[in-house]
Amino acid sequence: MMDKDAGGRHDKTVGAAMVVGGGIAGIQASLDLAEAGYKVYLVENKSAIGGHMAQLDKTFPTNDCAMCIVSPKLVDCGRHRNIELLTDSDVVGIQGEAGDFTVRVRTRPRYIDLDKCTGCGDCAEVCPVIIPGHFNEGLAVQRAAYKLYPQAVPSGYAIEKRGIAPCRDACPAGQRAQGYIALIREGRYEDALRVIKEDNPFPGICGRICNHRCEEACNRGKLDEAINIRALKRFVTDQVYAQARAPETGDLTRISRINTDHRTGTDGAGEPGAGRVAVIGAGPCGLTAAQDLCKLGYGVTVFEALPVAGGMLRVGVPEYRLPSWIVDREVQDIVDLGVELRLNTRVDNLDDVFAEGFEAVLVAVGAHEGVRLPIPGADLEGVLLNTTFLRDVRLSQLQGGQDAPELGTRVAVIGAGDVAMDVARTAVRLGSEVHVYYRRTREEATADEEEMRHAEEEGVVFHWQVTPEEIIGDGNGRMGGMRCVRTEQGLPDDTGRRRPVPISGSEHFVPCDNVIFSVGQRAGLAFIPESAGVGITREQTVAVNPNTLAATRRGVFAAGDATTGTAFVIEAVASGHRAAESIDRYLRGEELEPPPEPRLPVVELTRAEIEERIAAGEVQVQNRVPMSELAVDERVSTFEEVVAGYDESGAQAEAARCLACGVCSECLSCVYTCQADAVEHDMVERVEEVQVGAVVLAPGYEVYQAEQAAEYGWGRYPNVVTALQFERLLSASGPTLGHVQRPSDGQVPKKIAFLQCVGSRDQTHDYCSAVCCMYATKEAIQAREHEPETEVHVFMMEMRAFSKGYEEYYRRAQERYGVRYVRSRISYVREDPRTHNLVLRYVGEQGSKGAEGQGSRGAEEQGKSPISNLQSLIREEEFDLVVLSVGMEISEGVRELGRRLGVELDEHGFCRTLPFQPLQTSRAGIFAVGPFREPKDIPESVVDASGAAAAAGAVLARARWTRTEEVEYPPERDVTGEEPRVGVFVCHCGSNIGGFLDVPSVAGYASTLPGVVHAEDNLYTCSQDSIQHITEQALSLGLNRVVVASCTPLTHEQLFQEASRQAGLNPGMFQMANIRNQCSWVHPDAWDAATEKARDLVRMAVAKALRLEPLRKTEVLVEKAVLVVGGGVAGMTAALTLADQGFPVHLVEREERLGGNLWNVRMLAEWGGREVSGFKVSGLRLGGADAAGSDEPETLNLKPETRLVWRDPRAFNQQLVDQVEGHPRITVHLRSEFLESSGFAGNFTSQLRGPTPPQPPPGGGGERGVIEVRHGATIVATGGVEYRGSEYGYGTDPRILTQQEFEALLAETGNLQPATIYRCGRRNLQSVVMILCVGPAERYCSRICCTTAIKNALALKRLNPDAQVTVIYRDIRTYGFKERLYQEARRQGVVFVRYDFDRKPEVRVSGLNVSGSRLGEPETLNLKPETHLSSPKGFSETQLEVAVWEPVLGEELVLHPDLVVLSTPVVPPEGAGELATRLKVPRDLDGFFLEAHVKLRPVDFSSDGVFVAGMAHYPKFLDEAIVQAQAAAARAMTIVSKDVLEVGGIVAQVDAEKCVACLTCVRICPYDVPQIRADFGVGGIVGAAYIESAQCHGCGICVSECPARAIQLVRYRDEQVEAEIAAITETGALLEMEVVGV
Amino acid sequence: MSEQEGPGNGFEPAITVFMCIYCAYMAADTAGALRIKYPANVKLVKLPCTGKTDMRYLLEAFEQGADGVCVVGCPIGNCHHVDGNKRGLARVKRTKQLLDEVGLGGDRLEMYFVSGGMGMTFANAIQEMTERLRQLGPNPLSWLS
Repeated sequence: MMDKDAGGRHDKTVGAAMVVGGGIAGIQASLDLAEAGYKVYLVENKSAIGGHMAQLDKTFPTNDCAMCIVSPKLVDCGRHRNIELLTDSDVVGIQGEAGDFTVRVRTRPRYIDLDKCTGCGDCAEVCPVIIPGHFNEGLAVQRAAYKLYPQAVPSGYAIEKRGIAPCRDACPAGQRAQGYIALIREGRYEDALRVIKEDNPFPGICGRICNHRCEEACNRGKLDEAINIRALKRFVTDQVYAQARAPETGDLTRISRINTDHRTGTDGAGEPGAGRVAVIGAGPCGLTAAQDLCKLGYGVTVFEALPVAGGMLRVGVPEYRLPSWIVDREVQDIVDLGVELRLNTRVDNLDDVFAEGFEAVLVAVGAHEGVRLPIPGADLEGVLLNTTFLRDVRLSQLQGGQDAPELGTRVAVIGAGDVAMDVARTAVRLGSEVHVYYRRTREEATADEEEMRHAEEEGVVFHWQVTPEEIIGDGNGRMGGMRCVRTEQGLPDDTGRRRPVPISGSEHFVPCDNVIFSVGQRAGLAFIPESAGVGITREQTVAVNPNTLAATRRGVFAAGDATTGTAFVIEAVASGHRAAESIDRYLRGEELEPPPEPRLPVVELTRAEIEERIAAGEVQVQNRVPMSELAVDERVSTFEEVVAGYDESGAQAEAARCLACGVCSECLSCVYTCQADAVEHDMVERVEEVQVGAVVLAPGYEVYQAEQAAEYGWGRYPNVVTALQFERLLSASGPTLGHVQRPSDGQVPKKIAFLQCVGSRDQTHDYCSAVCCMYATKEAIQAREHEPETEVHVFMMEMRAFSKGYEEYYRRAQERYGVRYVRSRISYVREDPRTHNLVLRYVGEQGSKGAEGQGSRGAEEQGKSPISNLQSLIREEEFDLVVLSVGMEISEGVRELGRRLGVELDEHGFCRTLPFQPLQTSRAGIFAVGPFREPKDIPESVVDASGAAAAAGAVLARARWTRTEEVEYPPERDVTGEEPRVGVFVCHCGSNIGGFLDVPSVAGYASTLPGVVHAEDNLYTCSQDSIQHITEQALSLGLNRVVVASCTPLTHEQLFQEASRQAGLNPGMFQMANIRNQCSWVHPDAWDAATEKARDLVRMAVAKALRLEPLRKTEVLVEKAVLVVGGGVAGMTAALTLADQGFPVHLVEREERLGGNLWNVRMLAEWGGREVSGFKVSGLRLGGADAAGSDEPETLNLKPETRLVWRDPRAFNQQLVDQVEGHPRITVHLRSEFLESSGFAGNFTSQLRGPTPPQPPPGGGGERGVIEVRHGATIVATGGVEYRGSEYGYGTDPRILTQQEFEALLAETGNLQPATIYRCGRRNLQSVVMILCVGPAERYCSRICCTTAIKNALALKRLNPDAQVTVIYRDIRTYGFKERLYQEARRQGVVFVRYDFDRKPEVRVSGLNVSGSRLGEPETLNLKPETHLSSPKGFSETQLEVAVWEPVLGEELVLHPDLVVLSTPVVPPEGAGELATRLKVPRDLDGFFLEAHVKLRPVDFSSDGVFVAGMAHYPKFLDEAIVQAQAAAARAMTIVSKDVLEVGGIVAQVDAEKCVACLTCVRICPYDVPQIRADFGVGGIVGAAYIESAQCHGCGICVSECPARAIQLVRYRDEQVEAEIAAITETGALLEMEVVGV
Repeated sequence: MSEQEGPGNGFEPAITVFMCIYCAYMAADTAGALRIKYPANVKLVKLPCTGKTDMRYLLEAFEQGADGVCVVGCPIGNCHHVDGNKRGLARVKRTKQLLDEVGLGGDRLEMYFVSGGMGMTFANAIQEMTERLRQLGPNPLSWLS
């Protein structure tokens, strides 16, 4: 379909985006895109969004609670009208091109309808299936019906189901065996019976005599023995039937809904129940159909020829197998439903039935006629038929043994089927000697093996391969024996069985008194005359359509044995169900053939899977629990039941063996309990197509599967956990409620070891996971906070604390929390099996701080050779708990996603992106963010996400606002002056509130409160119909205030508020009382107290409601332009991103030219293979730069064995400058300065001072060169500069230089000769020593220096492979893929020597120590090396000397390099402090701009509308600066893409009459909002405080600080809060209400 | 406590809690979600930030008969309004002095800091306050209300 934009022009661009992955990156990208005017489809693989972040306890370096900060974003995302959440979904394919993609999304069934689910959790409460909890990383269990975590969005529940269990699949009636087994394990026998009866009205019967195909299919059979499902079913009936019988009545429709399609329900279409149905035959089939039809509301009459109902069950199966009372009881249950049962009523002619007015007839007469073998003498007296014999015995028992068939002494039974066994064993009980003759072998006998065993035990003699040829009379008309013949196996017949062939000459005589034929039985169909129009088959069965069971005459149906010949009970039941369904369809006038329904897959567990579960300890090999049987001597004389069945403990033990193949057992407990009717077990997977213009991939990472690192014992040793597991142990809402306990014994660990780099920086991972050092530090701190006595050791290669505030955090961990860091990689973990403690062996370091703790062994001995020295440092130490700092990997599923979307991935599955366009994948219109493109932590993922929103915006911009929706509200009703009319809605929340306190009484109480005109209680106030109901009630009753007493406003306030808005009420006129989280859930054992409290809370809410006022919002027109301060790569990228998407930009740069710092970067080294190989732009202009132009990698000197790729970033920089300068929407202000800014987000006015014009402006008005610009947002991108100090003799000798200078040297000389001659007096540069962490870098990590040093070392090696480079470092912080450069440097022979700040290296010139000057001593500031360069004389005579302590060798090394290169950090440029003051934005201790929130608002300032990007924020690499600039642009676009902004609401207001301009509020406001305005005074006082609504954050701090009480906060005015306080007591409330006047 | 004669016996103190809408409110929600029990005689009043805590509110709560009052905010350093919780704490301290002066006793008032996930800590705070108030006995002003 063609899309049209607002102007009606055809434009293919679809104004929608898809975000794949609902972690924090995906959430942020979705929010930014949706706010910027695009429809967003957020695809999440799990049942809720939140990703890994939701699992975390705290976040570093601020120690914020992860859930606290992510939860508001979840709620925003979940409730955003332009974000559609597609949970449980995967992307399976994509077609089209950037701007117009068609994405195929597969959604797995959730089994709970999210539109109906209210998240009450009743389903999880009753769910009997316990599985390891995913969210708690297996440390706790969860139910199959679950919510991923309490704050999950969407808040609905989900059911985990793998498919249909094989037991259910094998059962003709679809019995949910796994379901009732799960309920048995929980001891819920009534519930178990209920679910059995869902599909089978004869559980007691089938529990005894079913042929249990379920057991053959049972997956457990692959392990030891199948579950004894039949016995468990019987156990359930034994338990329940032992209780007094309660006839099944009442909720019939509910039950019947489940068997039919309950989505449409039965109470709707087609008028069920109009019509009468006759069922002929009261056997299992007929009765099943009668039950179903009766439940559907039809009048059902069952005709039965015999004096008893139950058919074969009652007159065929002997008492010792199936006691009559069971049959009678189960029949009675059906009769009690209202089925009319006419016993002793033989139907002689089918037409009579129709004549009586029945509209449909079901023929279910079974197969009660025995068959005689066509042999001579078969009619003699004494020859009996199986069915007749059994029936006669059973009927005689009914009359106390009267008319029992009399048998002779010796009885021959012909046949070896189940009925033959019944006949034989019955004959035994009548006192005869019984012989069974069968023409085939024992193996071919169709009788149940157990039955034959029982028969043998009871003395029945089997004669295999013997068949009678003639019954021989005794001469008196009665039989006296048989002539038999032996057989042998012949050729197979049609059925595949081998035909028995008589052996000639084997005839023999067998004397016997009776022969009972048991060779089959068939239906008696004499009552159907040929004229009836009902076809009969040759096999004497009714001819039916096998799908519909309809006979050849309209209205006649047939089922059970009458259509198939003899079968088992369960088949009769299944057939009965099908017949009922068919008859229902017939009577409704629907198509008889039901439409095909997609089915869930059947779960087949593989052997390997079962073994895995055994290995995990979930399953133990254990055979069936045996059942007791009646002793043989007892049973031959009576008809007592032989098998006794399980007792309770036996049944539970047997039930516990169930492997729960389907996960969800389909026990239907959730269906019964859900009052919102939200559970749908029939849901199936579906695939949908979604149209989008761009795709953002944020699928995230998976933690390294720790079991792969077998040496650490995870999965084998209980006390080895992953860091993510430890995170859950720390979490206050985790499995241990925040008490750190070790898994083996629940003890608090006294000694914890963290092992770093598990799954990072090893043979299979050539990258660093970038986050583990910090999260381990965080977890170590938290562990100490929880248990100050706990010792924590972190075993690491080095500490990578490379970002803002990290170094300080690391220091705090050591100094304040005493966390010990040991530089050692642990090679394996050993467990002490008695204590489950873990023993680590490691090499300690000379003089290292961490390792000398108690319990460590080994001594430091000086003066030995390095090797023996090392050995002496080997220590062994025992720990209570080991935490594995697992790295990041890309899951197989995500790799598959990459393949499906056709984006290039690297060998680890990380997404390759374009150079200089770090978010652009190999396919136009598809972007990658977060750890998917490189391991990274939360803030960087969030930056990526916002950046991708901008990048995607470049594709979508033309279609902005074309796919979004706005909610229309009716005009607001002015309620001023009206009497308060409060409506109160009290929620039951299913049983969540209603089950723990008296909700109706709370509602009743509410209705008595003054001002309340209406109060009611709802089952779920948040259900869609209730929401609408609130609106209707508010309208019809003229409510002007709405109070909802239910759950938490954090998730539901907006929903209810919108309901009252739909009734024309201002959102301010709504109030909530949280009677669930604050009442019913926390006082579950105190019904009265909880009810009382709920009344109190409602009263308080009503009291506040009476005082409510409308929230006024005003609209502010948005200035569409953006001001960007700083013209480096960040500023230019931000400017271009905005301008390309249609927004004018003012770019301010104080230097002469654009380009900033990047001019100083002369080369970039990348590890090849990281970037995409082929990318087609396809006519799209993509953000910063043209992809093709600048990235010609320089492969000169590239050693064939390395994959280093060198690039010159200056070409890229020049291109950016050209684009910016040539862009029509960008105004570049060079040599200009930002002066000041006023206004607020959306509407700023700023002054810029341009270059001083040669002539002062005429008239002298205004400052010279000052211009004013108006803009909606500001981006600060002022960059940073390389620090120059006097450390290590810098400035005293031209051979001591910074990395930037060294880089320039390398780049400019090409072959190094001139410079080195110049500086060192040598022909070639032979040796360089680099010293890292110089100057301020001792305080904070400048992030880029390690990599820059390595890059320059490699660059030197490239020019002179023989050059010696020694890097003196503290920690090498080559995080992420930069690790590869580090590895390459080591491969190329760069030497790394570590030092500590307490033993720094020394730099000397010919013995003269020049390292004396320390940071902060201003003696030799900035001796420019250039000045020395002009006078090289003298330097060739002196020699540089660097001395450094080598900790591993324990020796001082002395080096004599040609050059010393210092890695000095990036520092904020001059004037940054001044700029911060002018913009009223904060800076951190190191002078970098401080964002609003380090974790989740990394490019925002706390003042709205101002954003930060690039090195102004913190030192960063080029790609990071580019992404951050895009992110800042995206954030700015969330403002400037709108035409108007709504401001106001809950804000502080100054009463100028009371204000004395004391400045308290000005000082106290955390956001610098209040100002004293001279024009604002009242009554002659000049000056009063003014608070701009658009800027106020509504915290109310100024209100309570104001000494004159001149400020009030809307919605929290003193009288409003005080009304609430007063209403805590009833008397207070009444007084208060009097004041209000109600 | 039950072994004592006098005020501790069978006394269920009424507590008024002022809480910020961020961490503290979420902690109370989490306590509910995790079904962590605490005494029922606790009424919660929400404020936009504990920086909005007014001495007047605290005193009024006592005037209305509360036996104890708690103010619950975000952890120090994690306040959603920079350091509103510190402002709140300062006022709680001053109110405690005042309560000591008027003889009601500053111990009846306490401030707690919890993060959103700390449902257990929140419940423990309520429990702890309840125990303390059982010792202190009923609010002598309660006859007023």
